[in-house]
Amino acid sequence: MKNAMLLVTLISCLWFSPTSAAADEQMQENAQRVIVKLFGAGGGTLDSYGTGIVVSADGHVLTVASHLITTGGLTAVTADGSRFTATTQATSMQADAAIVKLNLAENQQLPFLDLATAADAVPGTPVLAFSNMFRVAAGSEPVSVVHGVIAATTPLNAVQGRWKFPLRTPVWILDAITNNSGAAGGLLTSQTGKPLGLIGREVRHEESRTWVNYAVPLKTLQPVVEELMQGKSTRLKNADETAAATLSDRQLTAQFGLTMMPSLLQRTPAYVDRVIAGSAAAEAGLQRGDLIVLIGDTVITDVREVGREMGAFRQGVKIPLTVDRSNQLINLQLTN
Amino acid sequence: MRAVIVLLILLTGRHIAAQESLQQRQQERISVLQRISPSVVCVMDPKGAGGGSGVLISSDGFAVSNYHVTSGAGSFLKCGLNDGQVYDAVIVGIDPTGDVSLIQLLGRTDFPAATPGNSDLVRTGDEVLALGNPFLLASDFTPTVTCGIVSGTHRYQYPAGTFLEYTDCIQIDASINPGNSGGPLFDRLGNWIGINGRASFEKRGRVNSGAAYAISVNQVLLFVEHLKSGLIIDHGRTGFTAETSDNGEVVISQVSELSEAYRRGLRPGAILTTFADRPLSSANQLQNLIGVFPEGSRLPIQWIDDDGQHRGTIRLTPIHDFEAAPELPMERRQPRKPDGEEGTADEAETLPESITGLFEERRGYCNFHFNRLRTDEILRPLQTQPVPADAKSWRLQLNTTGDSEQQADAVIAITAETIGMRQGEQAWLQARKDPDPSEEPVGFPGLLTALGELSSFVLQREQGFDEVIAFGETTHLPLQQKCRVLISRNSLTKSRWYFAEDQPWPAAVDVEYAVSTDEARLVFRDWQTVNAVSFPRQIGVVDANSETITWLLADPLTRTGEAE
Repeated sequence: MKNAMLLVTLISCLWFSPTSAAADEQMQENAQRVIVKLFGAGGGTLDSYGTGIVVSADGHVLTVASHLITTGGLTAVTADGSRFTATTQATSMQADAAIVKLNLAENQQLPFLDLATAADAVPGTPVLAFSNMFRVAAGSEPVSVVHGVIAATTPLNAVQGRWKFPLRTPVWILDAITNNSGAAGGLLTSQTGKPLGLIGREVRHEESRTWVNYAVPLKTLQPVVEELMQGKSTRLKNADETAAATLSDRQLTAQFGLTMMPSLLQRTPAYVDRVIAGSAAAEAGLQRGDLIVLIGDTVITDVREVGREMGAFRQGVKIPLTVDRSNQLINLQLTN
Repeated sequence: MRAVIVLLILLTGRHIAAQESLQQRQQERISVLQRISPSVVCVMDPKGAGGGSGVLISSDGFAVSNYHVTSGAGSFLKCGLNDGQVYDAVIVGIDPTGDVSLIQLLGRTDFPAATPGNSDLVRTGDEVLALGNPFLLASDFTPTVTCGIVSGTHRYQYPAGTFLEYTDCIQIDASINPGNSGGPLFDRLGNWIGINGRASFEKRGRVNSGAAYAISVNQVLLFVEHLKSGLIIDHGRTGFTAETSDNGEVVISQVSELSEAYRRGLRPGAILTTFADRPLSSANQLQNLIGVFPEGSRLPIQWIDDDGQHRGTIRLTPIHDFEAAPELPMERRQPRKPDGEEGTADEAETLPESITGLFEERRGYCNFHFNRLRTDEILRPLQTQPVPADAKSWRLQLNTTGDSEQQADAVIAITAETIGMRQGEQAWLQARKDPDPSEEPVGFPGLLTALGELSSFVLQREQGFDEVIAFGETTHLPLQQKCRVLISRNSLTKSRWYFAEDQPWPAAVDVEYAVSTDEARLVFRDWQTVNAVSFPRQIGVVDANSETITWLLADPLTRTGEAE
């Protein structure tokens, strides 16, 4: 047993090559050549910039399925500073991936990353993360590179603002700050420049609410990308989300037209933030500002309990609600 | 079990080298840190509220920090070193635009100083060490060390308003937090390559986000002599704007008609190919380059237009007219206490005894005491030089052909109010107080005014002017020589005097004497003293368009030759 432990220690030592063996310059350059800076619509807390990786000579770019690529007016700046308009070809919510096509001139070809060359990696691997974070680099300037180590491989359990983040595939948790504005869609490589992963988004862990630095292994994305390149978008399958029998915020809005206040505190009171006119919630008489105190017989003390309790009711069954409206308790029936 | 052992042996055999190098690397890093840590300064507000970091640059205690670190503290500070001692320090000079300040620690002549490297050689991926005082953690002033890589070079970070602008800076992923500001960035060999000054803080608040920026040491060194002169030194502007064309050329978009660039012939549409001898590929790069030079620097540019290739030099003019240290924008102020609570910086300052006589307040200066020191230092060697009894004795005859075989063909005569030149049938008379560019001799614009200034300098030294101040160090063009600079003012005339090392007399003077007029630029060689009259045997006139020097031979005019 002792020997086995020693073995594990030894092996892990091998991965920690000193950072001084700073990335091979040629390899770094190769990584820089395939990265594009994306610019599109943003506003408020949504950034108007991001990162992508060129994955075909005719200008297919892999990035995350963020608001940036769904809002139109997207432009991409390649490593040599050339600027292209771009159109979103297909997205996969489950893999949080998207393929954007740059509008190249006829017969124009770009240096690209062949996803088939993507390598696998294990926790302990020193990595470099290339991205357009904070929009520091402009035009032909090389994007930012930060260093770190793959800390763990684990399914991602994250939230983005009030929404449960749909990505479920195992990701690499990084001991490097990649959770920055504009970094998502960047390239994770080994220290020798081998392509490894797609830098993930600005999300928080569902339980700890801390920012998660993660990347999705390119190897797991490869089949998804193939489908996306053929123009096949994949939407979320309902089964995926309802598996936990908890209704996500998204589903609450979709099914009942009910939006609750975001869960910001240790315990956020279950206030109704919005009721869509003509929805089931509106028909039941719910109003903005109502505090849900009971669902069925269960006392609600935290807004996060709403989805779980509502999800416990079978379809077609009316959900009895008690709300506090201006210090008056009102009983309502919500059609499920 | 046996298999495990075999595997173990195999593995250890294969990777023993890797482990050795890892240990070696670790050992190297430890010894580098032992060497560089003593130069790292913990900069503290004397009221004990808040602070930042700094780095010692010379054994006499000069230390560089950030302007936004020292700006709240007033004229003196308390500084801790890793020997556990607290030293008094006095503010010396500031560069608010570039967010740099210079202080001097007192009480020792053997302060451990950092060794500057060359930040232009820094490359993305290089390992770096950031040392400093984040969160004011170390009560014994041992610097906190964070390690990272260079994330990008030649970065640009926008100013807050018009100052605290980071041009051509080094982006790193080493942890930088409040309190690190002003502290040094080192390369893996322990060479000082930058000053950690700011970071991209966003949703995390003011803590490390993996994107921090260091002012390059090369920029700091271009300013350090100005700072040592007690100045509020500014960065400069060129008088033109440019943008990047689609094919990566830097195209001039606007040129101010009052600018030197305009007088050199630069016009919108021209392609700027080099700035300060560096080839250009984008307008961003140009902006980065301009930002690393102090105001007043004369720099070469090259451009192409329909008429072909051109070259010339321009002087950067100040961005601001700092009359006093500017207030920091609220969001850039250092928390005066580590917990972010603002202290009261308004209390009347009582200077400690140690800095009595080391601080002198004057409008437009950071600490005029240091300017006085510097001026005295430059002029001291001249004290041993003879001073002629009266102004009349400083008269020159000039040989404008520059050929020593030829006779002098011009005479210069100077009075308190005028300076005149006679050459054959022609004569020019220039007023000393209010020079008129049209009264300058043909072929040598500005010569009379400049010689008037020279006579004042030779005869009266600093007493010959309304004001003489020290203005750091610069590379003189076209001499290509590093010189210390004095600036003299006489009513509207402003002269820059250039002093090369180990030479008491100036090597050159540039005289601004009229608005929108090229400076009169003279260079001097072969200083001589005849009958207590000092003069340069050779006076070179620099042509503004070609940057070439026309040499004139000068001789003191003897009484016998003075048949008027």
